[in-house]
Amino acid sequence: MEHLANFRFRKGVSLQKMTPGARREMRQGLLFISPWIIGFLAFTVIPMIATLIFSFLNIKITDGVTNPVAWVGLDNYRTLFKDNQVWDLPELRATWTQEIEGEKVFNPQVKMSPPGSLWVTIIFGLYALPVGIIVPLVLALLMNNKNLIGRNIFRSLFYMPYIIPFVAAVFLWGGMLNPETGWINRALMLLGVPKASVPQWANDVFWVYPTYVIMGIWGIGNAMLIMLAGLQNVPTELYDAAKVDGASYWQSFWKVTFPMISPVIFYNLILSIVGLFQYFLVPLVVNQGTGRPAGATNFYNLYLYKTFFLYQNMSYGSTLACVLFLVILFVTVILFATAKKWVYYAGESR
Amino acid sequence: MKKQLFVLIALLVAAAMLLGACGPKPTEPPAATELPAATELPAATEPPPPTEKVQIRWFVGLGTGTDPEQIVVQEEVVADFNASQDRIELVLEVVPYDAAQDTLSTQIAAGAGPDIVGPVGWGGTNFFYGQWLDLSDLIAETGYDTTQFEKSLVDMQITVEGQVGLPFAVFPAAMFYVPALFDEAGLNYPPDKYGEKYVMPDGTQKPWDWNTVAEIGRLLTVDANGKNATEAGFDRNFIVQVGYIPQWQAAMHMVGFWGAGAADFFDAQNNAIIPDEAVQAWEFYFDGIWGAQPFIANGALSDSPEFGGGNVFNSGKAAMGNTHLWYTCCLGDFKDAGYEFQLAVLPANPFDGKVHGRVDADTFRMWKGTPHPKEAFEVMVYLVGPAVAKLATIYGALPARASDQAAFLASKSAEYPFVTSWDPIIAGLAYADVPSSEGWMPNLNEAWNRIENLGDLMLNDGTIDLTAEIEKLRQDLDVIFKK
Repeated sequence: MEHLANFRFRKGVSLQKMTPGARREMRQGLLFISPWIIGFLAFTVIPMIATLIFSFLNIKITDGVTNPVAWVGLDNYRTLFKDNQVWDLPELRATWTQEIEGEKVFNPQVKMSPPGSLWVTIIFGLYALPVGIIVPLVLALLMNNKNLIGRNIFRSLFYMPYIIPFVAAVFLWGGMLNPETGWINRALMLLGVPKASVPQWANDVFWVYPTYVIMGIWGIGNAMLIMLAGLQNVPTELYDAAKVDGASYWQSFWKVTFPMISPVIFYNLILSIVGLFQYFLVPLVVNQGTGRPAGATNFYNLYLYKTFFLYQNMSYGSTLACVLFLVILFVTVILFATAKKWVYYAGESR
Repeated sequence: MKKQLFVLIALLVAAAMLLGACGPKPTEPPAATELPAATELPAATEPPPPTEKVQIRWFVGLGTGTDPEQIVVQEEVVADFNASQDRIELVLEVVPYDAAQDTLSTQIAAGAGPDIVGPVGWGGTNFFYGQWLDLSDLIAETGYDTTQFEKSLVDMQITVEGQVGLPFAVFPAAMFYVPALFDEAGLNYPPDKYGEKYVMPDGTQKPWDWNTVAEIGRLLTVDANGKNATEAGFDRNFIVQVGYIPQWQAAMHMVGFWGAGAADFFDAQNNAIIPDEAVQAWEFYFDGIWGAQPFIANGALSDSPEFGGGNVFNSGKAAMGNTHLWYTCCLGDFKDAGYEFQLAVLPANPFDGKVHGRVDADTFRMWKGTPHPKEAFEVMVYLVGPAVAKLATIYGALPARASDQAAFLASKSAEYPFVTSWDPIIAGLAYADVPSSEGWMPNLNEAWNRIENLGDLMLNDGTIDLTAEIEKLRQDLDVIFKK
């Protein structure tokens, strides 16, 4: 109670110095906000603390009552740091020829060994992040072009795939990208690509990441709209001034458009990175969470989920969650640190 | 004052709701915690009061048995049992499959597990490893005759926990084959009796082993130009028919057919071991897909619609398929297309010359913490005995006891009238995998998942260094087993 009495809500205002009316108001305020506080404690703070504590225990549901819970210190973290399923680096292999009908023919193929789950996420991010930012930006620039006839129709057309149910889209793409019967490979073969060289898409460790990125392209409509809104907010007088100064389109883009929409790009980047670390649903639906092919789609978040709910190893799952938290924290800090250098907030000193 | 009273009442209501939410449900049985802990030996010596029936709970849901029509028959079985005597009351508890694992976990953790669980396969059994009662003492005490079953089926139910089950419903494996494709290739059919040899077209006899399967498999693998895999100019990129498919057999199952089980993958300290049989099985499989003369469909081919989208034998484009009796469920397209299959015996491991079969099995388990083991065993004997005719029929399984099998085989013959003999299936009962390839291993689900990743890699990537990948698997399993 003494702590509460000395608590200062605002600079120079302590509980003791508050008028009875102000105290009453404060109590009522606390009462009204208490559902949120209780919810925040019960569903956010306590689970987070519990997760941290679990990571130092050996809770496995499959052990049932036969193996009592015990404190294991940093054992789970030691296990994690030697877990190839998390850290294994991918290895690229290229073959240039194949024996067909007794003859060696030029037939290049790139293969990759399945990486650990953290690398799965990072490699996928290397494909997905640029596509998730650049493609919507380019589309938004096109949609914003005054010379484009039927802009609204195009905007609707590019947005429409976003509203297609995700599972339906996965099945459609699955058919199109089937290595044997999909029209994409058939078209490639018509163009002269040997059958042995056509991508095996979702069946191949190397090609599965581009496959997932292609499947995700239908979801960029939302990012495109946000970019478009950003573009439409750029004051036209800036372009006029640039034109008077003799700037080319490219120079206008880099010196006017990009800085003005950089907060929107930053926002999309943050969303994409958060989405990347939470990437889960596509591998769960496409491959029932098995990690096919050969563990190449065992995304970190999927591995974490499986450890909790399939392998029932609560403590190791908690350890994975804690490490993921640190990784996301690190990436976010880096991102915000670099944002000062390239994100421009007009009329705001940062 | 009024406001303070309001605040006080509001706080009390909130506290009451919180306590209400956290507290036990009023319907929860109060005596749950008084039951013996799962690790304790059951109180077998405490006889029930003579006037009161002992209640035995039969938990259904970890495997089959949850369909409405199955429930009706199970209820009949329970009613028959209850009507037959006055000491035990059998109570059926059916939990939907999706919720069964969690429900049983909760019951066991609360010390209130059921007395009997089943029908359950290895998957459900392994999930509750350490919770099953060793029946050896009860079998000895009651003089229960286990010789009525094939010995290998009884042995198959022996795990590290002891004799945890009795044979009930079984699904032996056999080599399914398409005679028309053999005729087309001018090949003799595979043997339908264990011990027989395979006769090559030139009359030479070869042991019916996996090497012979590979040899004739290559002759039965055909490209779009009609050339088989041994002929010059064979185009592996346009295969239209394969010689062999391990139909819906996981990488661990393949190991079972070569003679190793799950228990061979770790030692007493949980160090990972890759048994020689596993290496042999996987080398055979990898070479069959990616070797110079392939005879097994790779991932892309077997997943393609033309090859049945994974159900390759059903597409009629595989000459031989190694699978289990349950596969007769899934041959609709095959039958509709006018194809016919026959059954041959399983091939031997060429390294030891022995046949190592696999039998998938459903059975019943008794929970270690049951307070009434004798009565529960009596019920179990009833379920695998007199009740088997009704139960095996609704579960679609072959009864383990030979004397109960006629009706099931008759129904299969009616379904597939072209099958001339089901003997290879029945003979397969003598080749159950002991220890089972689906048996328990530490951190089983994750270990299986990791082994499956290797299986998938073998299926989809012919450029891997298999030896290095197997070593990598061993290292990963070593970590997984010790988690």
